[in-house]
Amino acid sequence: MVSLLRNQKVRNTLLQVVYVGSLAALVLAGIIIARRNLAEQGITSGFDFLYKSTGWDVNFSLLPATANDPYWWFFLIGIINTLFLGCTGLILATLVGTIVGLARTSANELAQLLGRTYVDIFRNIPLILQVFFWYALITHLPTPRAAHEAWGLLLTSRGLYVPAPNVGGVAMALATSAVIAAIALPVWLGRTSRLSQPFGQRATIQLAGAAAALACAAIILVVGRLPDAPLLDFPALQGLNLRGGLRVPPEFSALAIAIAIYGGSYIAEIVRGGFKSVGKGQMEAARSLGLSPWRVFTLVRLPLALRAMLPILANQYVWLMKATTMGIAVGFTDFFMIVALTINHSGQTLEVIGILMGGFLAINLSLAAVFNRINKAIALKGNQLRG
Amino acid sequence: MISSNSTKAGGPAVRIENLDKYYGTFHALRKVNLSVERGERIVICGPSGSGKSTMIRCINRLEQHNGGRITVLGTELNDDIGNIDGIRREVGMVFQHFNLFPHMTVLENCMIAPTLVRNQPRAEAEATARRYLEKVRIPEQAMKFPGQLSGGQQQRVAIARALCMQPQIMLFDEPTSALDPEMISEVLDVMVTLASDGMTMICVTHEMGFARRVADRVIFMDGGEIVEQAPPEEFFTASQNERTRQFLSQVLGH
Ligand SMILES: Nc1ncnc2c1ncn2[C@@H]1O[C@H](COP(=O)(O)OP(=O)(O)OP(=O)(O)O)[C@@H](O)[C@H]1O
Ligand SMILES: [Mg+2]
Repeated sequence: MVSLLRNQKVRNTLLQVVYVGSLAALVLAGIIIARRNLAEQGITSGFDFLYKSTGWDVNFSLLPATANDPYWWFFLIGIINTLFLGCTGLILATLVGTIVGLARTSANELAQLLGRTYVDIFRNIPLILQVFFWYALITHLPTPRAAHEAWGLLLTSRGLYVPAPNVGGVAMALATSAVIAAIALPVWLGRTSRLSQPFGQRATIQLAGAAAALACAAIILVVGRLPDAPLLDFPALQGLNLRGGLRVPPEFSALAIAIAIYGGSYIAEIVRGGFKSVGKGQMEAARSLGLSPWRVFTLVRLPLALRAMLPILANQYVWLMKATTMGIAVGFTDFFMIVALTINHSGQTLEVIGILMGGFLAINLSLAAVFNRINKAIALKGNQLRG
Repeated sequence: MISSNSTKAGGPAVRIENLDKYYGTFHALRKVNLSVERGERIVICGPSGSGKSTMIRCINRLEQHNGGRITVLGTELNDDIGNIDGIRREVGMVFQHFNLFPHMTVLENCMIAPTLVRNQPRAEAEATARRYLEKVRIPEQAMKFPGQLSGGQQQRVAIARALCMQPQIMLFDEPTSALDPEMISEVLDVMVTLASDGMTMICVTHEMGFARRVADRVIFMDGGEIVEQAPPEEFFTASQNERTRQFLSQVLGH
């Protein structure tokens, strides 16, 4: 008996069993207590409310929504809104961060100073203040009647109006997938043609792939356009209001801008770190071979910096995804706000919080999984010597 | 751009005249003069910080000189980008820490410059790469990544990578000093073969056995100056210079 307890494997298994057992007991006890308390207050637990109609509306949705729709449909809308805001914010933040980060690593001292100032300012102002700032700014823009038009865009206190394609839903979805393919295809082509094509031609193949996918998207849009309507619907003033086009509500713009600028300041530091981690030796070797500065950057410096950045960037993305919950501060119906409204209206607090946690867990775990895949695929093989 | 007649014309491979180099206020090279003939094998040695790396890095413009003239294969190194590119095409360099591109296979490392800088067709570049990998005795590693090779193998890939550009001059900056003792000879053997093929070589190294075997001239630097230069036998046995003798007694261990 003593000898069995001394066995490391046995002991580890035993510890695991005890640990999992006590955790399960704790959760079970919590559920039992909660159910009893809820029952005493006359609240029935369960997920039946998901099929009841909500009776309230959302102010932003990519899917059709009315007050008659059930709760589960609203949760879906919320998740899609969160994903849409999150992806827009992440893409913009990455753009901002790349530009600022490159400025910080550049040899130009003015660019360095500007980059450093940017990071110092925006990283140190709480995100919620930045959201409020942009929201206040946007809602104080001129009214639709006084707004100026530029390139078919209208900036007004009621939102940003942009031209919208007059295209059916199916064609729109197809075209969107084609655009996504235009981004994914070059990556995939780059990997598969790695060993069969020289470097210069590889870039040509990648560009051709992207161009073909974009052409597909354009054709789908033209073919799938609504009958008897111009391809693009421009916003125009009609009476006191604007008709036509697509309205990007101020809540969404304020959040997207705030996430882009705040997130950008963190991503700038990640970008800078990534570039700093690339050994000078590799770049010197590339230069000594006669490669042009542009090729040294795109073929050596950038690929190596990206590999150093990606794992940290993934963390930052997960963090920014969670920051979309700021939507509630300005009334953007993201997932979190829908959850909060549902709690108020249905009273099913525990269930709804469970759905909230499950939803965010799913979003962020998938994000992390995607990044893990990418990291694994591009990881440097073998042991790396730092020169 | 180096025109073909100037590269084929006579005259030294490298001519350095009154070279001055400053790092800020630090005077790293002081009026250095050196001429290297085509086909000549030069070994440069000297204590740490004496300016050996700085000097050979000036030859392919990894460092910019502040005074004097450097002429490589008849072309003067100045701010003309065309000149710099032309010279880099003809001058290969091997570094102490190999500096291979870790995200590319060995073959890709060897093909990137010929295909992009010399616009060689892929098949030709691959054939050249495989030929040089054969020459440095690691043809079987072509599809591996640098991180999967030993230090000695990596350095031989680095030599092959430089050779694939078919340079007329090779620079070596302490190619064996980051290697374990048992790997030094495999790299030196490759360098000896290269020397016997008639390559113009300028090697910074403390491998005195190598210097004895292949060098036409050994150069001793100290404090940013060339203190002494002589054929190896003379340099190792009959040096009159106090600093040289002191340095030799340190590296030769007696
Ligand atoms: N980028 C730089 N900035 C400032 N000082 C430098 C720089 N590179 C070299 N130096 C200085 O210039 C001097 C010569 O350096 P160099 O690298 O040429 O020496 P070395 O002879 O190659 O020495 P080692 O045997 O240690 O490689 C040294 O004193 C060094 O500190
Ligand atoms: Mg050195």
